Amino acid sequence: MQPDWAFYQPAEHVDVRGVDVAYRRKGSGDPVLYLHGIGMTRRWLPLYEELSRGCDLIVPEHPGFGETSPSEWIYSFEDLVLHYAELCDALDLETFHLVGHSFGGWIAAEFGAFYPERLRSLTLITPMGLRVEGQAPIDIFRLPADKLAAAVFNDRADEFADYADDGKDAVFQRYAELTAAARVGWNPRYDFKLDRRLGRITCPAVVIAADDDRVVPPAQAERYAELLPNGRLVNVSRSGNHPSGHGLVAQESGKIAHEILETIRL
Amino acid sequence: MKELEFIYSVDMTYPWFPPADDRESIGIDMSNGMYNPDLGKRTLDRVVGNTVFAEQLGYDGVLIFEQHNHPLALFGNAIQGATWLAAKTDKIMVAGVGPIINAYKTPVRLAEEIALLDNFSNGRLIVGLPMGIGAQYHSLGVMNPAHARAIQREAVELLYRIWTEDGPFAWEGEYFHIPYVNVWPKTLRKPHPEVFIPAAGSRESLDMAAKFRFTYQAIAVPMPVLLRNIDTFRELCEGYGYTPEPRQITAVLSVHTAETDDLARAEIEKHTLWEKQTFFRFPFEESFPPGHVSMGSLRGMMAGGYRSSPPWKLTWDELIAGDSLVAGSPETVRQRLTEITDKMGSGRVIIADSFTQPDWLQRKSMALFAEEVMPHFRTDGKAVWQREESLLAETSAESAARSPQPAGRPVVDMPEGRVDLYTQPGEHL
Repeated sequence: MQPDWAFYQPAEHVDVRGVDVAYRRKGSGDPVLYLHGIGMTRRWLPLYEELSRGCDLIVPEHPGFGETSPSEWIYSFEDLVLHYAELCDALDLETFHLVGHSFGGWIAAEFGAFYPERLRSLTLITPMGLRVEGQAPIDIFRLPADKLAAAVFNDRADEFADYADDGKDAVFQRYAELTAAARVGWNPRYDFKLDRRLGRITCPAVVIAADDDRVVPPAQAERYAELLPNGRLVNVSRSGNHPSGHGLVAQESGKIAHEILETIRL
Repeated sequence: MKELEFIYSVDMTYPWFPPADDRESIGIDMSNGMYNPDLGKRTLDRVVGNTVFAEQLGYDGVLIFEQHNHPLALFGNAIQGATWLAAKTDKIMVAGVGPIINAYKTPVRLAEEIALLDNFSNGRLIVGLPMGIGAQYHSLGVMNPAHARAIQREAVELLYRIWTEDGPFAWEGEYFHIPYVNVWPKTLRKPHPEVFIPAAGSRESLDMAAKFRFTYQAIAVPMPVLLRNIDTFRELCEGYGYTPEPRQITAVLSVHTAETDDLARAEIEKHTLWEKQTFFRFPFEESFPPGHVSMGSLRGMMAGGYRSSPPWKLTWDELIAGDSLVAGSPETVRQRLTEITDKMGSGRVIIADSFTQPDWLQRKSMALFAEEVMPHFRTDGKAVWQREESLLAETSAESAARSPQPAGRPVVDMPEGRVDLYTQPGEHL
């Protein structure tokens, strides 16, 4: 199929024990592994371009997301962690800086708990994954695409239409990705064990929150920052008149890139 | 004469809530604070009343379905509901459609419930094993739609083994590891109670029905799609080495019978449209939570299958033309049933009259159907349960005369030696 959505860039592929992993990589310097959230796959975002000017940025797509094949072996976050350990082995990444946004932030946190020695730093951007009573994320599995986009972009989805554009195949792409997410995260929609596990991650860690996150309540980012031994909470605030939100990787890509690059220079 | 069996859907809806105008769904979070116990009990009692009446009239079976978290049917547990209905009747088949396997922590528990009811009811249980509509995956906390099909498949394979093999055996699956599977009691009906697989057309469901010779309960979808599904089912059956009997393809039709065609429409149109506008008011995301259907099935649906046009916008004429609704005089109903079941090659029909009509109206339609329609599809007017020999001895005397052969005799060690529990007091072995 001819790609017909914005920011498309062909992916490189690597075989990770039967999983055909699509990834995009650019830049030089310290390796930064970036784990995406749900949506905005199959493309090279402006954020990635900005980051790649200051590091060796590697953006793989999770099993079942983007152009990476689904894997019947993924039953849990632990399986995703093992998958990423194997991917890093395949790419000769012994230690690296790890970044995760939203759902990808949850995977990154789990990865760090199992392989803390491989992390040089950890940056979580509006991450989900913790149990904070009364502060659950909105129901991403139930909301129609337009309402989810409205929540992600604080009712300004039109301005960021390119980010949410998945082309003609959008319905199927979205269903496939939500299915891959549901395999590990339908129920429960948190990992209460992270409360203990995060204590193992002793590298410098930054947790980025937004002005008005309508997808994951900011209490989650605050709690992450508390639980990470060297965690620091950073609010990436609005540049213009509008509040930043869950989609701040699109809304405030310059500031996010700056925070990440600052963190890896620590 | 064309032979057909008729299973009457006795379920009633609890309709006492405000119009759905601005509500996007009633399937997940419409508050149960709106439930009124008096009206609810009347709704449930009507199900029992319909069941008893259906037996008097000579329907082959009755059917209830399991729903969760909304008022469109009030049986959260189909087996429990079917147990109550079986207890209130003597002969009619009772279909509980059905326990959602994914709602169980172990299929063994379900096997026990099925076997117990099968015994209590003298083999009158039909058990449906649906995936459960998508909305229900939000409400029980133990079901994950992205694993549900795989779990259902494994659980059905385990159930089948429980039904067809003596225990104990070990089950070593992906989702269940059970070191000792050994269900008591065993089912009365051999090899197992009849199983319905309600399917809107997913190949996975059709394949499961074909493989185990279960009944394909053909959920109403647009007729061209339905006929394609039936072709697929037949091909799958042939692949497993047999040709399905007509009754293995069970049609699901809305049927209302009145004295004349015009009267039928006048009586039931508003109820039918209420159902379409309210019952099926689930947005895509609620009908199909992630993984609830395979990507292949999803592509099929988007190309014109299940609910690719909103049911709540359907008109009376469209429903009639679409063959999912049959309403009219006995003569019309006879003709339409013949046409539709001929097209489908199906030998059994689940009759789903309106779920909201008044009791008196429903009884009139049920009785008219039984007296004026059913006899045209039966050589002797008898229901299946009138023709089948009882599976069990019906009296103590008959039981004794059958001389059941036990696997062993119960004995007890007394001071004077080992004694048989049921022979003369004190008689030594």
